[in-house]
Amino acid sequence: MSVPAIEVRGLRREFRASQGLFAAPRRVIAVDDVNFSVPAGSVLGVVGESGCGKTTLARMILGLMEPSAGEVLVDGKRLEGMDRRARARLIQPVFQDPFSSLNPRRRVRDIIAMPLVAQGDVTTSEVDRRVAESLERVGLSTEQGTRFPSQLSGGQRQRVAIARALVLRPRIVVCDEPTSALDVSVQAQILNLLAELRRDLGLTYLFISHNLAVVEHVASEVAVMYLGRIVEKRESEALFRDPRHPYTRALLDSVLTPEPGLGVPDVGLGDIMPDPANIPSGCRFHPRCPACFAPCAATTPRLTTLEDGLVECHLAG
Amino acid sequence: MSALLDIEDLRVTFGGTAAVRGISLTVEKGETHCLVGESGCGKSVTSLAVMGLLAKGGKREAARLSFAGEDIREYNEKQMSRLRGDRMAMIFQEPMTSLNPAYTVGSQMTEVLRRHRGTPRAQAVDRAVELLTRVGITAPGLRLGQFPHQLSGGLRQRVMIAMALMCDPELLIADEPTTALDVTVQAQILRLLAELQKDLGLGILLITHDLGIVARVADRVSVMYAGKVVESAPTAELFRAPRHPYTRGLLSCVPVPGKVKRDEPLGSIPGVVPRIPPGFIGCAFRDRCGFAEAACAADIPRRNVGPAHEALCILPEGARA
Ligand SMILES: Nc1ncnc2c1ncn2[C@@H]1O[C@H](COP(=O)(O)OP(=O)(O)OP(=O)(O)O)[C@@H](O)[C@H]1O
Ligand SMILES: Nc1ncnc2c1ncn2[C@@H]1O[C@H](COP(=O)(O)OP(=O)(O)OP(=O)(O)O)[C@@H](O)[C@H]1O
Ligand code: SF4
Ligand code: SF4
Ligand SMILES: [Mg+2]
Ligand SMILES: [Mg+2]
Repeated sequence: MSVPAIEVRGLRREFRASQGLFAAPRRVIAVDDVNFSVPAGSVLGVVGESGCGKTTLARMILGLMEPSAGEVLVDGKRLEGMDRRARARLIQPVFQDPFSSLNPRRRVRDIIAMPLVAQGDVTTSEVDRRVAESLERVGLSTEQGTRFPSQLSGGQRQRVAIARALVLRPRIVVCDEPTSALDVSVQAQILNLLAELRRDLGLTYLFISHNLAVVEHVASEVAVMYLGRIVEKRESEALFRDPRHPYTRALLDSVLTPEPGLGVPDVGLGDIMPDPANIPSGCRFHPRCPACFAPCAATTPRLTTLEDGLVECHLAG
Repeated sequence: MSALLDIEDLRVTFGGTAAVRGISLTVEKGETHCLVGESGCGKSVTSLAVMGLLAKGGKREAARLSFAGEDIREYNEKQMSRLRGDRMAMIFQEPMTSLNPAYTVGSQMTEVLRRHRGTPRAQAVDRAVELLTRVGITAPGLRLGQFPHQLSGGLRQRVMIAMALMCDPELLIADEPTTALDVTVQAQILRLLAELQKDLGLGILLITHDLGIVARVADRVSVMYAGKVVESAPTAELFRAPRHPYTRGLLSCVPVPGKVKRDEPLGSIPGVVPRIPPGFIGCAFRDRCGFAEAACAADIPRRNVGPAHEALCILPEGARA
């Protein structure tokens, strides 16, 4: 079997947030024993509510944040102790906010050149050539390369961020909500661009979004996160056709498809909001789960293997 | 009977630039009218103009601007502030605009009632508790004593909604009320608004760029592009038979769950929203439109294209994208 593009084993991350002088610090387990691998050339979508740990997971996979436990392997190599420049050649990020992720004082072409220049051993003419190639790949003109970020639209800025991610010709791109700040028409342009790049360059994506329709469109496999854990991970088509975890079902039912006359569904989650500093006993979803039954509050469900994926729920056991 | 809110030919300029270039729409009692369109097309400016809350330098003009049958164009600030928060309420796009960081949730909510109605404090507190419960907040007593920054985004948004409802408004203008929220919370809040509307006959002008929300909650939809309403129709009609090429493009951009095909590109609208120079004439969509012709550079009249369905486009019936 070929080496997975990304593999994470027992990944965990805690935060301790001070609550003032006299209160005990709040201990948040943002990512809790997460395991998965992403085959080269595929797209793993990660979905889940705000605060469930998606960005924390992404930052650890990018090597931008140390795990509290566990390890990350990228292209079969352990991230820990890897040289920064080597890491940058393997894996690159595209973040949500094209406004704050680009330095406003630099011209577009210098922003795109930055990762290449940081490699140290590249000639100026090589930099120019690769920047021009990146600009063209994402559909920006040479003239747009001479502008400042403030002189571009939101969609164009996200193209700059993608060009910057591609300039080192990485194998893997981690996209954290890459289209959430964009209008739907611009979102469609960017999603089409990402799909084209994946096909042409054989890229692997970890694609984080809270928009399930977008994830369904781009992902080959989908992981559903809840309070730091992956509670279901399935082939995309199977997950959307036949979700097995009650939380996945609630998420899918909450999606308001553009179909008039259907009204707004009641997904039956109640209004107890999950708190990552206070994770419930047993199944962590049980206080909100419409299907909760006898063992759920006391016993943590085991991971059950299905033919097309994994699910962590007593009902599936 | 006249509409609850009746806007005709509303124009707003900031210095030389026109942000809203002549829009007309109505909101009936008990109706939800959705205003959709891309970032910067003038949705927020429209709502702020109605509320008399335009930023400094903003100039408003309208052929008609009436609320519950009363012409409010010439209302002075005192008259407007008597209406605002009382008979017409607004939920702002940015929650912190209407929540004061220096006061507790409780004092801000009760202040609305005390100012408009002179309600005694104890009664105002009861009302606040009732509404916080109604918007799905557990432990409302605790929340009343907290400051806005101590609340999560979802809670803050619900507090804003509760606050907007303190005086039983007749009209609610909600600017992207659920954009910052998770889909599960979003569904909950939209259900709440629909319920209140049924109970109180509230008229709602709902601003959003999410066509899923529009499809599910709107009675009527107006699509804005570059400061104008380019198409307006009852919701089912708009989704069934969109007429304006911009509306059609917009609908094709949205991946529909259960119907998406991987490896097949989404529909998209080429190009970007243009800048509209002063004195611009004709269809602002023409440099992105596949049907553009010479006539599109002249004034485009509003036309009836179906039952209660209007579009701002020269295309004859039957033309298909
Ligand atoms: N630097 C930090 N210090 C303390 N707590 C943190 C830090 N970063 C994240 N957290 C907490 O960890 C949890 C997970 O956060 P994370 O940003 O990974 O969530 P997310 O799934 O990306 O959410 P969103 O959809 O809102 O982006 C949250 O409770 C968050 O408050
Ligand atoms: N105070 C202001 N001064 C000058 N121009 C302004 C001001 N407020 C808004 N504008 C301009 O008016 C136009 C319409 O802005 P508006 O905020 O109504 O857009 P919107 O449709 O609400 O967009 P979004 O979806 O991003 O909220 C924009 O071009 C904006 O730059
Ligand atoms: S284990 Fe129980 S509470 Fe958890 S998701 Fe399954 S049924 Fe619901
Ligand atoms: S008026 Fe002309 S340019 Fe504008 S949308 Fe219609 S056909 Fe296209
Ligand atoms: Mg995040
Ligand atoms: Mg706005």
